[in-house]
Amino acid sequence: MITRNLAGGLLMLLLGSVYLYFAYGIHKSALADTMGAGGVPRVYGWLMVGLSLILICQSLWAFLRNKAEVSLVEEWQGQGLKTLKAAGLLCFGIIYLLIVETLGYLLSIALLLLGVALYRGAPIGIRVVLTSIGGAIFIWVIFVIVLGVRMPPGILETFGL
Amino acid sequence: METLLASAEYLIQIKVLVAALFGVAWGIMGGALPGISPSITMALLLPFTYTMEPGSAIVLLASTYVGAEYGGSVPAILIRTPGTNAAAAAVLDGYEMNKRGEPGLALGISLYSGVIGSLFGLTMLILLSGPLASVALAFTPPAYFALGVLGLSVIATLSGESLVKGFISALLGLMVATIGTDPVSGSNRFTFGSADLLSGIAPIMIMVGLFAMSELLVQAGSKIKVEKAATRTRLQFPGLKLAKRLMFPQSIGCVIGTFEGVMPGAGGTVASFMSYNEARRWSRRPEEFGKGSPEGIAAPESANNAVAETALVPLLSFGIPGSNSTAILLGGFLIHGIRPGPMLFQKSADVVHSLYAGLFTAAVALLFIGMALLPLCIWLVNRPRYYLSAFIYALILSGIYSIHNSLFDLGVMITAGVIGYFMRMFRFPFLPAVLGLVLGYLVESNFRRSLVLSGDDFSIFLDDRISLALLSLAFIFVTGSLGRRFFSYIRREKNAENESNTGGQI
Repeated sequence: MITRNLAGGLLMLLLGSVYLYFAYGIHKSALADTMGAGGVPRVYGWLMVGLSLILICQSLWAFLRNKAEVSLVEEWQGQGLKTLKAAGLLCFGIIYLLIVETLGYLLSIALLLLGVALYRGAPIGIRVVLTSIGGAIFIWVIFVIVLGVRMPPGILETFGL
Repeated sequence: METLLASAEYLIQIKVLVAALFGVAWGIMGGALPGISPSITMALLLPFTYTMEPGSAIVLLASTYVGAEYGGSVPAILIRTPGTNAAAAAVLDGYEMNKRGEPGLALGISLYSGVIGSLFGLTMLILLSGPLASVALAFTPPAYFALGVLGLSVIATLSGESLVKGFISALLGLMVATIGTDPVSGSNRFTFGSADLLSGIAPIMIMVGLFAMSELLVQAGSKIKVEKAATRTRLQFPGLKLAKRLMFPQSIGCVIGTFEGVMPGAGGTVASFMSYNEARRWSRRPEEFGKGSPEGIAAPESANNAVAETALVPLLSFGIPGSNSTAILLGGFLIHGIRPGPMLFQKSADVVHSLYAGLFTAAVALLFIGMALLPLCIWLVNRPRYYLSAFIYALILSGIYSIHNSLFDLGVMITAGVIGYFMRMFRFPFLPAVLGLVLGYLVESNFRRSLVLSGDDFSIFLDDRISLALLSLAFIFVTGSLGRRFFSYIRREKNAENESNTGGQI
């Protein structure tokens, strides 16, 4: 019963409702025009709620109409595993965010390269380690030396990196 | 003529030349990697352009787009895997020529036709964009509002299978555009006390997140087996007789590519398949198509390269990005505080002229760089996917941080990537969201300013002639798209009915 359209519609309905709740909380300034700062966001919020409801109704109607033809197993086949794998990859980005200021850019980017390559299926060995270190130095040279970006130095600050 | 002379001055500027050459080289390599679209190739470069001067930055991004359109054909011809969507048509005959033992000639035809398409597209870009700019000075707040509405009306054609989903996606973009300080009263909206959100969310974070980050997340859950390409391929250009034979299909590709490029939403994929079809229809040897016909490569390749140039017409003249790649290019303009649209030719004529010069350099350089980079492209095509993912991840995180030296920006980009992942999962199109995001401020601020000017009288939008013309155009655009959708629905229903009447056997 829960097709992709229905799930998408429900998610957008929730998002629209939350947005609308905060849109009604926008303070009206004495300098504001007739519409006010919250006017347009409220219109967007209601439109989002309305369109989400249309999408939900459409998907329910399509499901009831083609009941025999719609295979929910096929619709969602492998999606759980795919999402889990995507979440795993996402974790590397979040971990990078958490460690970059402490460990510093060079070290964090090397760990990111190593972690992501191994996670995506690189065979464990000296080659992947060397590629990650070489890659990190290459990226560090581009950003820090060539482009002059001030990346977080972290624990490597004492070495001038 | 004045434009050509002004643009010619930039042809000798080292910065513009270097940007064009590097852009083409980067584009070819990015396009050659299956799964890395031109827009992702451009998005990866976007943060680097922050420190560059505007003219060179835009040339770099636009040249990347030109290079990627050819680059996509390399794996399409060598391993039957198109590097870009638009290169899918090149698989049909390109791979057949490869199997016949002529991969070098197939690549040569692709490159040579791409250069012709690029030069033709650039000529059309210069001819079409200039006159549209002459109305620039007459734009008032109602006209700007109407321009924004016209831009949003494109959503009707960009929404793919579901119009409702397209509108929802656009609303998502419009909602993000409301975050920050209100354009009229200065009140804070959706900032939740965060100083980082006061100036709103920069479109670049959302674009990189939606296009590049979400692609990485999707690829994490999918297994793509890519063939290995033969490493000894040498590029070979067609002889005089074959070049003469290819002139007609190339012309078809150029004309269709120009038309599709100017129309927002159509894009290179539609153009290349349409021109392939037309080239076959008008060919003296239609039976060769699909079996390794050189004409079957020439037509789509010149078409998708013409699109890469003419797709800039609606962007430069109206500020409307009609494709993912032009949306990224728009991001490049916005990073430097330049808003494409009617005033671009008045306020930043130097950027436009350097863009024209850069695109000319890119089109010509494509021929030489394409030849020189073929071994590198083959090497890249044969690289394991896991290293590619790791390096792209590192480039995205480093690039976004380098814009404002802010970890908050990284958080926003990662969040946009997650939203993009779920949008893909629930099959919501991206481009309407990007349109909503970049046009949201323009629409809201000018709508409210117009009402303040008119004392809340809505007729101001119809009294202004430019506004009326643009709103009428938007109306025609939306009703046309709705009509087309309605008729195709009726046709589908009729076909389904016929099928059920005949027991499914036709």
